Amino acid sequence: MILVKQKIFDFNFLKLSLRELKGSFNEFKIVMISIFLGVFIITAVGSLSKNLKYEINNKSSELLGGDFELSTTYQEFPIKIKEWLEKNGKTSLIIELRTMLTSNQSVGLKRRIVELKAVDQNWPLKGVPIIVPNKSINKSLKMNDNNNGALIDASLKNQLEIKVGDVLQLGKTKIQINGIIKKEPDRMFSFATFGSRLLISNATLKASGLVIPGSLVKYKIKFIPNNKNIDLSFLNKFVQGTNISIKNIKNSTNNFNSFIEKTSLFISLVGLITLLISGVGISNGVKGYLIKKIKNIAIFKALGAQNSIVFKIYFFQIIFIFLISIIPALIAGISIPFLLKTLISDSFLSTFEPFIFLEPIIISFLFGLIVCILFTIIPISKTYEIKPIQLLRLSAHHSLNNYSKKISALLLILIFALCFLIFKLTNDLKLSVYIFGVVLISFLILKGMTNLFFLSFRKLKFKIGSLLEIARKSLIRPDTFAKSIVISFSIGLALLITLNIIEESLEHKIANTINKQAPNYFLIDIQPNQINQVKALTAEFIGEDSLNAQPMLRGRVTAINNIKVENLKINKDVNWVLKRDRAFSWSNKTPKNVKIISGEWWPNDYTGPLLLSIGDKVAKGLNVKIGDKIQFNILGRNFEAEIFNTREIIWQNMDINFIFILSKNKIQNAPHSWIATTTNTNKEMNNALIEKIVSNFSNISSVSVEETYVAIKSILNLLITIVNSIAFITLLSGVIVLAGILNVSKKDKLYEVAIFKILGARPKKIIFLWLQEFLIIGLMASLISILIGMSVSFILVTYIFQIDYYFNYITLITLSLIVPFLITIVSFIKMLKLIYSKPLDVLRAYY
Amino acid sequence: MKNNINKKIIELQNIHVDLKNNIETVHIIKGVDLIIHENTSISITGESGAGKSTLAMTIAGLELISKGKILFENKPIHNLNENDLAIYRSQHVGIIFQSFNLLPSMTAIENVNLPNEIAGSYNENKRALELLKIVGLGDRINHYPHQLSGGEQQRVAIARALVSFPKILIADEPTGNLDKKNSEEVINLIFKLQEEQGSSLIIVTHDQSIASQCSETIKLDNGLIV
Repeated sequence: MILVKQKIFDFNFLKLSLRELKGSFNEFKIVMISIFLGVFIITAVGSLSKNLKYEINNKSSELLGGDFELSTTYQEFPIKIKEWLEKNGKTSLIIELRTMLTSNQSVGLKRRIVELKAVDQNWPLKGVPIIVPNKSINKSLKMNDNNNGALIDASLKNQLEIKVGDVLQLGKTKIQINGIIKKEPDRMFSFATFGSRLLISNATLKASGLVIPGSLVKYKIKFIPNNKNIDLSFLNKFVQGTNISIKNIKNSTNNFNSFIEKTSLFISLVGLITLLISGVGISNGVKGYLIKKIKNIAIFKALGAQNSIVFKIYFFQIIFIFLISIIPALIAGISIPFLLKTLISDSFLSTFEPFIFLEPIIISFLFGLIVCILFTIIPISKTYEIKPIQLLRLSAHHSLNNYSKKISALLLILIFALCFLIFKLTNDLKLSVYIFGVVLISFLILKGMTNLFFLSFRKLKFKIGSLLEIARKSLIRPDTFAKSIVISFSIGLALLITLNIIEESLEHKIANTINKQAPNYFLIDIQPNQINQVKALTAEFIGEDSLNAQPMLRGRVTAINNIKVENLKINKDVNWVLKRDRAFSWSNKTPKNVKIISGEWWPNDYTGPLLLSIGDKVAKGLNVKIGDKIQFNILGRNFEAEIFNTREIIWQNMDINFIFILSKNKIQNAPHSWIATTTNTNKEMNNALIEKIVSNFSNISSVSVEETYVAIKSILNLLITIVNSIAFITLLSGVIVLAGILNVSKKDKLYEVAIFKILGARPKKIIFLWLQEFLIIGLMASLISILIGMSVSFILVTYIFQIDYYFNYITLITLSLIVPFLITIVSFIKMLKLIYSKPLDVLRAYY
Repeated sequence: MKNNINKKIIELQNIHVDLKNNIETVHIIKGVDLIIHENTSISITGESGAGKSTLAMTIAGLELISKGKILFENKPIHNLNENDLAIYRSQHVGIIFQSFNLLPSMTAIENVNLPNEIAGSYNENKRALELLKIVGLGDRINHYPHQLSGGEQQRVAIARALVSFPKILIADEPTGNLDKKNSEEVINLIFKLQEEQGSSLIIVTHDQSIASQCSETIKLDNGLIV
């Protein structure tokens, strides 16, 4: 006998595979949604970050507004620098500050904090601004009918309900809104941006009287040298040891690039986790699908198909499903930069022109493909275990415990490939290993707990002959599907519970902070000659105790213990402290609610050399202790202070938190401003006070803490909604597995009904028995999910978010009841018609 | 029992089949010797649980024996692995089941052509079409199983079993799910096609009238030929 081997790599099987798939697309809905979501997020984030980086690196000169940018705070540039720059090229002087702009209505007056930018006639040195209505920048900003011209963002127009042509008060002068600035070539996103843009001329700013010594004003000079190879040694020497910093095209975008990288890494990780969680959905969906296909697989084998051919038929189907799901995901992902073009141009990168980049498409495709194969290879390989004889003897309960060597090898390769891609994405080996560790440990815990529950259920005994005992026995029989159902549902529910507790803990924290601890308003840029009047007004409206006012000036750390900052070895977590200007304060009085960690506060009447109080965590990061000396440059003057104490800083309280607080004398006469917060439960009076202060003092700006919280919370909520949707999809994939299992066990259940009926059981009793069975499975999944969800969320909330653990019992119970409810309802609907089958017909037809 | 001088196609030598579950081992076949010749028909009769279908399925390579030998054209097949048994079935065996076992997502012609596709010969639609015409379904080739009656589905199954010119045709209670009229038509078709093709037919049946049409009949009782 000659056995001619079947061709294993004949791609004509693809046709057979697709024909077998006909009519089964519905089974893959959840699988397709799962693949779509994960791949879409990774592609969208990848495309967006690639586009932004490309944009920034290619238009860095335009974004910088010249070839060089010099900037300083508080003080204007020294004449010598200005002269040198003007002699050697083209310059443009820009002055930036924050102020309040008030609408011109007689009723319902509106105020908004604005990012004021004053420019000279040379602005912009590079790029062209777009103004609506179309007018030149100089025309738009020049004086007209005794009013100074101004341009605003479209958002400010809506916020203040003003229109082009309106005349508003700005400090001591009036400004006329001459148009909307649609594109500002040198405007880039900044975290420090509080409000919308108000663009005026330098002359208008001077007329407004808003620039007072000590007020927080940023001066910038954009510079294009006549000679490209200009020697900047004069400039560099001149600015050494001052607050002036110089940016060139190369280093101007470093911060933004690193911001894009970090943000896209975070969102990509969310996408990756989505994809991995989706993997469970994909796996469950395919498992459910293949359970329904057991008979077809047995037919294929009975007709002579080898295991590898059957494997290939179903593998092709999964790849086909993957391809038709991933294509829309990729298209949707790469279209995100195009869809966000207006938003990005309007909000932070006015020159934005998106392109399609191949790299994010390839990475997302590979991620999707690897996750898809990784999570489906095991269910598909189980087709090896299906025997053709199952056509005669229904027993679909074979399980593959020892995967073949080829499958194990493939799994290993896929895991390594995924590790490599994660590493490529994060560029952080530790983080990649951490992600894998968490996924693996979570799965092992889930599996272990399910086994433990079934083991204890096996030991339990109910009254012999009771329905509960019959249900228990049915659930613990060796070929039971109950474990698969429990695991499938527990993943989604545990995830849902974890997210819910995190969300509730955060909300609880936010609500508590806003209501009890956080101030209502921040008041910025109060001048020293205004602080007593602000205090008096506060005392009149809400009581002096409600005001927390502290002096503030800006400076830079230049050295620690005489070692220059660039030569210091410090923890990279505190790099930001040394990177740029920081706010300093002074106080001889121990500040309110301060918690000293080491050392003590200096005496009230201290007049000796400068002492310093420093935030405890920053001190640890900088490797400094009491007695160490820190050198600063404040407004061009160098100071040295000795660390006298370290204190705890609780950023979450949203109050004024200075990392550096100095002793009072020697520094109190430097030009400075005050920053203050008002905290009072009487919101009406508090609002009235703020209104009074900002209308009396046009240079003082106010920021509502509540509004800031709402903005932060809306971003957080969006993230939670996305992850919650994924958890729901995972839960739905559990339903698919359940439906598949119910289809397979339909014949067994029919037989069970027939026998029960022959033995005299009424339909009601059988229904009750089944309900008990499914309810027990559901409750078991709920209990496991609660235990896992509560433990995981406890770890995340306590150690990662570092806030109080909080959950609402009612929400938790409601969530936990979803699974027993789903399992019972789905099973009941699927099984109901079996109850009314005629026992003899069943026995004749099937047995 | 009729004598036959044709070549031996299948020889069973003292075969035993044990089925194990988690609780016990059941001895289904307890030592059966049997020779089946080329171009003959043999019926396997017996009570329910006697091991009729199990015996037929050992010949198909679907049921593994625990002891004894099975020879196909004097070559052992009982020691083949799962994949070689699949190839053996694909090249030499056609099976007709009581419950038809057609693939619901494929049309009649696609179902009939399936063994050829599995074997890798895709261009033989002609043969499938011819067979469907012979079984009287020439006008329903693009119908799906659920659009066909039980008798029609079984005729598709017969065509599928014969599409690859198998040397052995196994029919396991082929009329078990059909009414009398359809049963007669199906049985007539099976015998007619078996004769035309020169296959050896092994038919498992309760029905004495069907058994009597075979050139040989064996009766099983409690796993043994009686």
